Amino acid sequence: MSQFNTRERNLPARGYRPGYYLLGMFAIMGYGWYKYIKGVRELNELGREKMWSRIHLIPMLQAENDRDQVRRYWADQDREQELMGKKTKIYHSDRFVRPTYSITPTNISK
Amino acid sequence: MAARQPRFNQAVLIDTTPLPESIPKVEEVGASSAPLMSASYFIGARCKAYNDDYMMCKTEAHGRGEFECMKEGRKVTRCAASVIDDITKNCLQEFRNHWECLEDNNQQLWQCRKWEWNLNGCVFQKLGLEKKIPGAPEHETPVHLRRRQIYSQNEKGVIT
Repeated sequence: MSQFNTRERNLPARGYRPGYYLLGMFAIMGYGWYKYIKGVRELNELGREKMWSRIHLIPMLQAENDRDQVRRYWADQDREQELMGKKTKIYHSDRFVRPTYSITPTNISK
Repeated sequence: MAARQPRFNQAVLIDTTPLPESIPKVEEVGASSAPLMSASYFIGARCKAYNDDYMMCKTEAHGRGEFECMKEGRKVTRCAASVIDDITKNCLQEFRNHWECLEDNNQQLWQCRKWEWNLNGCVFQKLGLEKKIPGAPEHETPVHLRRRQIYSQNEKGVIT
């Protein structure tokens, strides 16, 4: 058995001391963490940039859509007046409710 | 059956009735997503007051904002349209370069910094509008001004 055992044969251990390998591992890992944290921070800032770009646009898009909804709603009401003779309220509320179904005129209105 | 053409019994399935005459007319902005994204910070810089006014009106109207905030909405649209108008009048080439780059790069702002800097410079010179990201950490360079964009894939993102 003793022919395989380096300690009993007084042979030097191969390579560096184990502590150096541990240090090397920490160095590599530290570099990785450094790059990773840098990337995450950059991503946060890019996310903030994109978010504010959208925040600046939202009122404009919302205004356009609201105007369109109101236009359709009033057109619906006018059509109802014309066909039924009165404008009905279908909800017990004054709020604007986006219609589930959009009713289109038989003929394309000019 | 993806090859089958959709069939509609009407040519236009939308109600095209215009708003009543009593409502002042306003031209819609009519820009697509990439130009809007390119111009968004300038819209924010010039129209912040109108935008905030409109959003506050909507909040305070409790669900009736669609009717009650039409006046504020028109101001918002006119202001945004004026910004787009001014940019196209003064910095058309820079604007076009930037939004076409955005269009080609999945609308990722960090791929197009070179064009963005050109556009920002031109807009600041001619219109005095500056891109500022609210809430960004103050002690470091804002992300849109960094010389090296670490997520950029192409040469256009970084200055060479």
